[in-house]
Amino acid sequence: MAVEVETRSAPVPELPPDARPVREPRVTSGRLISNLTLVAFGVLFIAPLLWLILGSFDSHASQTIEWPHFTFGNYTGAANSANLQALRNSVIISLIATVFATIPATLAGYVFSRQHIPFKGPLLLGILMLAGVPLSILIVPIYQIFAPRNYLALVPAAIFLGVTSLPFELWIIKNFIDAVPIDLEESARLERAGTLQILWRVVVPLALPGIGAAAIFGFINAWGNFLVPLVLIANASQQPSPVAMYGFFGGNVIRWGEIAAYSIMYSIPVLILYLALSRLFRRGFVLSGAIRG
Amino acid sequence: MSISEFTPAATPVGMAAMPDPPAGARLDKKRFNWSSIPLLLPALGLLALLFVGPVIYSFYLGFTNDQLLGPTSKHFNFTGSANLHRLVDDPVFHQSLYLTAFFVIGSAVVGATLVGLILAVAMQNALGVTRVVVGGLVIVCFVLPPIVVALAWYAASTAHGTYTGLFGMPNADFLQSAPLLVVSAANAWNLTGLAMILFAAALRNIPTEILESAEMENASAAQRFFKITLPLLRPTLITTILLMTLLALANFTVVYVMTAGGPGTSTMILPVYSYLQAFQYNNLAYGALIGDAMVILATILSFVYVRLSRERS
Repeated sequence: MAVEVETRSAPVPELPPDARPVREPRVTSGRLISNLTLVAFGVLFIAPLLWLILGSFDSHASQTIEWPHFTFGNYTGAANSANLQALRNSVIISLIATVFATIPATLAGYVFSRQHIPFKGPLLLGILMLAGVPLSILIVPIYQIFAPRNYLALVPAAIFLGVTSLPFELWIIKNFIDAVPIDLEESARLERAGTLQILWRVVVPLALPGIGAAAIFGFINAWGNFLVPLVLIANASQQPSPVAMYGFFGGNVIRWGEIAAYSIMYSIPVLILYLALSRLFRRGFVLSGAIRG
Repeated sequence: MSISEFTPAATPVGMAAMPDPPAGARLDKKRFNWSSIPLLLPALGLLALLFVGPVIYSFYLGFTNDQLLGPTSKHFNFTGSANLHRLVDDPVFHQSLYLTAFFVIGSAVVGATLVGLILAVAMQNALGVTRVVVGGLVIVCFVLPPIVVALAWYAASTAHGTYTGLFGMPNADFLQSAPLLVVSAANAWNLTGLAMILFAAALRNIPTEILESAEMENASAAQRFFKITLPLLRPTLITTILLMTLLALANFTVVYVMTAGGPGTSTMILPVYSYLQAFQYNNLAYGALIGDAMVILATILSFVYVRLSRERS
């Protein structure tokens, strides 16, 4: 049976012969204000950075921004053995801190996410509140604990630094594991896998972006920390870069060019890590097709 | 067709209708698993030993006569409320409270949050180029290590520095004449990037239909912003303000490196005062007590936040 459908629609008005498509004007006052505001703030924000970059290449660097007399001398001068030692200390401290923060955070994050323990809610809230505790509060009691036991050295200070990042890392990892579908773990359990095996073979690989993000966060925290090595490391040769840079300040002649160059050398790893972090966050929400159906 | 066709072929007559329940733990309800303990032990143990324990210890230390060096550095005694009396009568402590409040509110709440909001809103309407360049710039400022922030700002705000030149007074020393303002600006400069990111993400989540329908009803841009956007941003506003406040409260490096609490005591915020009392004036116990005051402040702030964020949800 053929069906004929008769449609009745509203009559279409006829367009006048000089009709043109309506487009939103590209230059509006709103857009202008927005761009000008951004540029104004941009200028305010870039001033110290510009000085840092230009001054590091300037052989006659001073506090003002001026067109540099180009040289790499500041960089080679800043890379003397003492400063490189400080950078090496920074790397060691940050690595130790990251290990002592991320591994316990992963293990505990799994428990908080997947397992049942008494008082889980209050415990989690308490750990989150720890994340907001300023470091300056802990410095005095820790010093009093470490000093009589001769712990005022690089490794204990690094461990303490890691522990201060632990609460926030635990929070990040726990939230990330929450988002991982539980099906894989359940099927592994049905195949009688032990908890440790499940952790190592199933959970960690799936949660790797979150764990990576937490680890990067902990590393950056430890890398930039100034107060902890200042107080808790007694030996000057074990001091990391922030304390070494503070030392540049006290000298009679402040060599601005070398300070700027060293600052940039010291900042570059952090910038790279932040780029990696933002990439991880973007990729972290795409899980590989591990679950069928 | 008879009903017998539907019985399972392998069921012999006389067998129990239901199989035995599985042996072992129920798998449908979560029960306490002993394997939780070794997994929790590293984190909880480390936190107890090196975080929670020291905070509690600090409250004890505040009431002793512990010194950095000297006779009571190793064997100190409980001195009751002597330190507490000293704290209450200490004019520098009172000044420190005001300075900390100004610093935190000025640089975190007003500075970083406001500027971050302005930037995030402006970025919505801006050219792609401006958005990427200025946005990236502000984020770099957030990411820089604190000592670099302090050094760059020291160079920029003292005589012949970048900012003194920019504002047309090359021989002035801003850090000397307006120290609290300068360190607050430095801290705001540092924190704005985070606020901007948080607000930009929140703004993206606002459904455009609401704004478009308001526009069609002839609401001006200002009306749209204040009556629609801002109320929808309220949760993010609270979170951001609290985050900025905590980060500013914890700030030691920027202020200490730039001014060491001076000139005089004009930038003696609580963390710096605590450090100086403990490690420069030899009064470890008094420094601990000042730190205790900070703990109480930070805790009050966290409770206020939890209260505020529960109100709306």
